[in-house]
Amino acid sequence: MSTKHSKAAEAYQQQPDVVERHDNTFFGVRQKRDRMAQMLPEWEDLRNAASQIKKHTVTHLADYLEQFEQQATSNGVHVHWAKDAEEYNRIVYDILSSHGVKKVVKSKSMLTEECHLNENLEAKGIEVVETDLGERILQLMKLAPSHIVMPALHVHREDIGKCFREKGLMDNPTLSGYAAKPADENDPTFLTYVARMHLRQQFMEADAGMTGANFGIAATGDIVVCTNEGNADMSTAIPKLHIVSMGIEKLIPDYASMAVFQRLLARNGTGQETTVYTSHFRGPRPGGEMHIVLVDNGRSDILGNEEHWQTLKCMRCGACMNTCPVYRRSAGYSYTYFIPGPIGVNLGMLRDPKKYSDNVSACTLCCSCDNVCPVKVDLSSQVYRWRQQLDSLGKADPMKKTMSRGMSLLFNHPKLYTGALRLSPIVNWVPGFVIQSGLNPWAYGHQMMRFPKKSFHELWKEEKV
Amino acid sequence: MKIGLFVPCYVDALYPEVGVSTWRLLRSLGLDVDYPERQTCCGQPMGNAGFEHMAEPLARQFDELFAPYDYVVAPSASCAAYVRCFHPNLMKERTCEAAGKTMDIVEFLHDVVKVDSLPAHFPHKVSVHNSCHGVRELGLSSPSERNVPRYNKIIDLLKLVDGIEVVEPERPDECCGFGGMFAVEEKAVSRRMGMDKVRRHMATGAEYVTGPDSSCLMHMQGIAEKEQLPIKFIHVAQILSAGL
Amino acid sequence: MSSREEILQRLRKNTRETYEQPDLSQLKPITYADPVAEFIKNTTTIAGARLIEMQEGDDLETVISQAYPDAQGSVGVIHGDIGVAENACVWIPQTMEDRSVCFASEQLVVVLSRQAIVNNMHEAYARIAASQTYFKEYKFGTFISGPSKTADIEGALVYGAQAARAVTVVLK
Repeated sequence: MSTKHSKAAEAYQQQPDVVERHDNTFFGVRQKRDRMAQMLPEWEDLRNAASQIKKHTVTHLADYLEQFEQQATSNGVHVHWAKDAEEYNRIVYDILSSHGVKKVVKSKSMLTEECHLNENLEAKGIEVVETDLGERILQLMKLAPSHIVMPALHVHREDIGKCFREKGLMDNPTLSGYAAKPADENDPTFLTYVARMHLRQQFMEADAGMTGANFGIAATGDIVVCTNEGNADMSTAIPKLHIVSMGIEKLIPDYASMAVFQRLLARNGTGQETTVYTSHFRGPRPGGEMHIVLVDNGRSDILGNEEHWQTLKCMRCGACMNTCPVYRRSAGYSYTYFIPGPIGVNLGMLRDPKKYSDNVSACTLCCSCDNVCPVKVDLSSQVYRWRQQLDSLGKADPMKKTMSRGMSLLFNHPKLYTGALRLSPIVNWVPGFVIQSGLNPWAYGHQMMRFPKKSFHELWKEEKV
Repeated sequence: MKIGLFVPCYVDALYPEVGVSTWRLLRSLGLDVDYPERQTCCGQPMGNAGFEHMAEPLARQFDELFAPYDYVVAPSASCAAYVRCFHPNLMKERTCEAAGKTMDIVEFLHDVVKVDSLPAHFPHKVSVHNSCHGVRELGLSSPSERNVPRYNKIIDLLKLVDGIEVVEPERPDECCGFGGMFAVEEKAVSRRMGMDKVRRHMATGAEYVTGPDSSCLMHMQGIAEKEQLPIKFIHVAQILSAGL
Repeated sequence: MSSREEILQRLRKNTRETYEQPDLSQLKPITYADPVAEFIKNTTTIAGARLIEMQEGDDLETVISQAYPDAQGSVGVIHGDIGVAENACVWIPQTMEDRSVCFASEQLVVVLSRQAIVNNMHEAYARIAASQTYFKEYKFGTFISGPSKTADIEGALVYGAQAARAVTVVLK
């Protein structure tokens, strides 16, 4: 018996060089995060502060949302409330269609992926252009993201170059301004420039810009978007209609809190001191319109979940997956939820425990994630708790259950246990072909252990200790 | 102080010499140690696999069995951690006394006995395996993720041993991939993680890999032997008691 | 019941325990013996921008035209109000009707006064929160730290992803 994650991860192991590259790439980001942590003596205090601020905000969320709405509205912003993904998609479509929007440029938003916004809009005839480079690459190549912050890091430059050529991006007349043809026709700098000129055209042609929100500030009604590329700013500086999609848990109280989070976000997410752009959108542009759609989609239910409410603190920085030794060696596509790694395991179970239970096996309970999370979500403890639920969901692995039952029987009966110990050296005599057969998963990677002639219990009884 | 020795199930069955070393080490320090025989398992394998309720009677049994002792000492970081961190929740009907007094042998010697010299002689180069539950649940060493003063209780003790050379691998506290039933349920990733860890230990040039958790050592040893890699595995207690 | 009411009601119903706001005045964020020097260092290293220090008597227009002798492509000039030493961020409140100059310019010049440099983001945000002018006329402000960048292709760092390809900070 195996989970979808374990099967996919096993298939992934068949390319050890790919695993090596993926593991090293993301451990590299973890190391950059470590360097950031070591440079700030107040690091652990910042984490404590961030965790406390989020715990406070989320347990007063209704009040803060009302304050935020009041502020935003007084700034000339239209505030909408969506109880679920369906309503969210409808609200966004209504705003776009009532403005005659044919093309939307958008910056990265995990919330829009959670609600399947793009597919919904495209089905209704509105073109959606992702402007974050990694997301645009995936969109053109029709691939799913493999990580929440660096979604296309697993894609090779040759494949990107091939895709750009096939989609006609290289035929862009504005490219003739590029200094010289690079030696490597798939050089990342060149490909980025090709994407830049392609996206410039998209910004000019777009009728609306959509962004997510890294943070919403209740005291002022600001929404804050942090990017390295400046694509959220380009998306909103050119088209006049701006729609913000924000999960309700993204609120923080005030600017003093914002300082804590601004300092933690990039350091944890990419190992940089800051994102290049930290933009505060408080209201519409002159002659423009700004809408904020506040989305619940299960978040208010999560608040009531005693064991798992702290996932609401998450700021989607990705640090947990960068440190997760299982994520690094299995990569995003091994997981069945669109968010992988420790937070993905937990959020998937909160979304639909039966549908996403396959990811719960993807954890050794090493607790590294708990120690990197900037808001101190108790990730590994939550995975442990989800494991306790699997049996009642009908998703427990039968082999694990049988083994557990067998052990339980022995351990609860000391005489049976010591009896089994006396017999255990028999295992040493089981023929190799039986040990190595598919029935013994331990033998997949290990030489079988030799059972000593006498256990500690027996040595003790014989006073040989 | 009266110490109750807890020899975890798999140490009992597969690595009794670790239990023997621990016993001898504690006795050599003049400590009043006893081994209550009706012990079996702390329940961690079932708990981590998702069958916590199967560990509940074991937690109660453990608490009762070790009631007469001031400390429960075990040569296994993950087992000591499971008792400390999870047993109280498994027996909510009364206070779990065992949790507060159960310690791994390393932290016991380092923090309680405060050992500052040992007669042990082990003239070999050893690479320290900082088992996850030891690091992050018991605090045997400072987690590499945190900005806290660097310390390592395992290394502090090993440095008392004559002739020894102690090193740490790159990624000093990355998981070896055992994870209990993880090794069986996600065998491919488990194997890859173990192989990566063994490679990193070997890159230090060490002759032995040592650590406070026989489960990690067992996993890595199984992988190393299958690949016929010339590196040996030994529990910290065995090194600290060498010569006794 | 509207979705708004439903959401607010469910949030209130599901809140079991509440937590207080932490006292952030207890936090000791990093400060520097010489914040200006730290800002200059970080601007040229982590932000990847060029930095020009104006001298007494220098004229801004001259300094800029000397920095961009060819002026090929657009050179946008914007003014920053606060510089942050820890990360080379410069706070740019929107002061012009069309803010695309901050992002669409290939070359961007950010003018900042030495006196406007603070140690860290806590100090910067405290100033912004206390301001009587920001967000009044135009409801936008941004921190910019160097030219736009990306490492989305194989982790290779590239400057000039979408917005400015190069930034020069002019310190007066």
